[in-house]
Amino acid sequence: MEMESLPNGNSAAAVAAAAAAAAAVAPSSKLNQLAESLKLEHQFLRVPFEHFKKSIRANHRIVEKEMSAVISGVADAANADFSRDEAVHHLNSLVSRLQGLKRKLEEGSRTEHLQAQKCRARLDHLESADADNLSDWNNMRLKRILVDYMLRMSYYDTALKLVESSNLQDLVDVEVFHEAKRVIDALQNKEVAPALAWCAENKSRLKKSKMESKFEFQLRLQEFIELVRAENNLRAITYARKYLAPWGSTHMKELQRVMATLAFKSNTECATYKVLFEPKQWDYLVDQFKQEFCRLYGMTLEPLLNIYLQAGLSALKTPYCYQDDCTKEDPLSQDSFRKLALPLPYSKQHHSKLVCYITKELMDTENPPMVLPNGYVYSTKALEEMARKNNGQITCPRTGFVCNSSALVKAYIS
Amino acid sequence: MELGNIKDTFDRVAKKQKLSSSKSQEVIDQVGHEIENALAKLQGDPASPVDQKSILVELQTKLSIIGSQSQLEGSQKELNINLSKYTKLLEKSFNPDISKAYRNVDFDFHTVNQIIASHFYRQGLFDIGECLTNESGEPEDTALKSHFLEMFQILEAMKARDLEPALNWVSNNREKLKQNGSNLELKLHRLQFVEILQKGGRADALNYARTYLAPFASLHMDEIQKLMACLLWAGRLDSSPYSELMVPSLWEKLAEELTRQFCSLLGQSYESPLSVAIAAGIEGLPTLLKLANVMAAKKQEWQAMKQLPVPVDLGREFQFHSIFVCPVSRDQGSEENPPMLMPCGHVLCKQSIMKLSKSSTRTFKCPYCPAESSVGQCMQLYF
Repeated sequence: MEMESLPNGNSAAAVAAAAAAAAAVAPSSKLNQLAESLKLEHQFLRVPFEHFKKSIRANHRIVEKEMSAVISGVADAANADFSRDEAVHHLNSLVSRLQGLKRKLEEGSRTEHLQAQKCRARLDHLESADADNLSDWNNMRLKRILVDYMLRMSYYDTALKLVESSNLQDLVDVEVFHEAKRVIDALQNKEVAPALAWCAENKSRLKKSKMESKFEFQLRLQEFIELVRAENNLRAITYARKYLAPWGSTHMKELQRVMATLAFKSNTECATYKVLFEPKQWDYLVDQFKQEFCRLYGMTLEPLLNIYLQAGLSALKTPYCYQDDCTKEDPLSQDSFRKLALPLPYSKQHHSKLVCYITKELMDTENPPMVLPNGYVYSTKALEEMARKNNGQITCPRTGFVCNSSALVKAYIS
Repeated sequence: MELGNIKDTFDRVAKKQKLSSSKSQEVIDQVGHEIENALAKLQGDPASPVDQKSILVELQTKLSIIGSQSQLEGSQKELNINLSKYTKLLEKSFNPDISKAYRNVDFDFHTVNQIIASHFYRQGLFDIGECLTNESGEPEDTALKSHFLEMFQILEAMKARDLEPALNWVSNNREKLKQNGSNLELKLHRLQFVEILQKGGRADALNYARTYLAPFASLHMDEIQKLMACLLWAGRLDSSPYSELMVPSLWEKLAEELTRQFCSLLGQSYESPLSVAIAAGIEGLPTLLKLANVMAAKKQEWQAMKQLPVPVDLGREFQFHSIFVCPVSRDQGSEENPPMLMPCGHVLCKQSIMKLSKSSTRTFKCPYCPAESSVGQCMQLYF
């Protein structure tokens, strides 16, 4: 369909044409970019795998515990002096224990199978990305990134709605975040029990990590402080003997500092100790838990959305974005994006990249820039079109300056 | 990165896990079996005496034999080896920490929440957007929401082949659409005309043309003439020379054009700004991560910098502004240092020209061609 001549450089029709031109980019470079971007998906594969490993470990532990209980049960019976009936009774209890173990293992097996399937589904999803479904696949990726953000911010209803509307169940980690939520909610209610349980569950992994994890120590310290706050000093001391003393060899200074709170009341004005009684300490615990949790599961600490958004904003940021006549197609024409991008570095270019004001297309060697006598520059294509429709007359859309197309001069930009 | 290899490695892990699992079941069954045997011996004949101690000791010995023979530990060890192999493979094939390029600046989550809500409205996911506004406690952008609600209502109607809302909208916004150089109204009327022709027949179509197409006659005579000719093929337009007016993709194209114009009139972009920014981020992050690594190795400061030290190459679709880079100084053009056109056609930034001409006193040679020029002959360019 024919379009009328385009007087306004911001016309939506011009943008459509530019978008069409951009879409005709050589597909191989798009595929290269896709391959590079897949390498960013470590978290996508790692989290369900860690979950899978955790189930395997938990099931191993159950087997070990129950089996050694049964075997030592037999040993006890062999050493004791049981009557016939006692022996029968004892062995029956061992049999039912084994049956219980079998049932648990079957359930555990089902869970492991589902988790392995999830790992495979994600590998398949990565493999499925190709030139034909690129825009759909990218759309899915944006949705995954949004779900990750919602879960981290605890907007669970929104996350679930998004997951259901796009069938993302296998591609997101809702249960993992629910596990974290339980501990975080408890900590925000000043309860350490779920957090301590979590530490016990993951003891072997927390030890293996390169940084010595002292999260458990911090939890114990906080419980101690709460006992002191409630003026249960005797109980506090017993608690310290049992739970804090083992950490003394590695964290003596901190231990001493906290123990000293025994000498103060919770409303003390002494700065060093006042801070230990503040509710903010619980916030530190929540933050520390989040760090440990993310590290164990191979997740980034920050939401994926923030990571990608920062990168994108910085790559797009130029001084022109903040001017009033910035094209609306640039995300940085929006106030909210401008605000986010303020503290981020500007992008850098090593080579000129010029965009025609009229057609929004790149002005390069195939479509070189032409200069009007008043210094304004437009692409050859735009000016040829304009001349054709107006008997060789050129009108600058920005200044209204009129000239003949013969007055145009070619500019050579390297 | 070989996804095939990674999948094979995972399959091995899954296999070892199943093996280990079945070994566990085997051992449990064996132990259970022996205990049952011992029980049977103990319970055997209630009349005859039984040496329970020796039965129990025998059971204990049997169990320890099972224990030593079981391949349970071995299979678990194999499994663990494969588990850690897979973890290492993932760390090698993928970038294990993409947050290395993250800057610890104030990234206000309220702003991010509002951006996401607007994104949902744009995509037509109104209930998800509302849910987010509720859960996050952010103020609702009712104006934006109602605009996009209107747009989606028009588009939904179009999907059901109902052009009424669309036609209402274009007639309400006739002037602005004209300013934008769009002939959307004509296209919509044309589509409606063809629909009527297919269903209602000549009389209705003719009436419609008289009412709605006539105003376009002066500017678009050839289009109107085409449409009038269609009257001759009422009901069998697909066998006419104008069959292209019936293709279903016309509806999609028109829906797209309406969306573009609608957004443009709203002062919004066609693509969701969040989609564009994230797409740019996905393209640019690998370069930024490499840069962060290099700078960390050299112990250079990553967090506070005014400008990225290297270019991040993005696709053409992300080029929204003209950026002039002087080939001599590599400086970016700005108001204080604009690009200047020399008579030979080459362009340098003003400061480079001043340097070459020793502050505008002498003529100088263009670095690219042997042509000489003076400062006065150079003209400022506006891209």
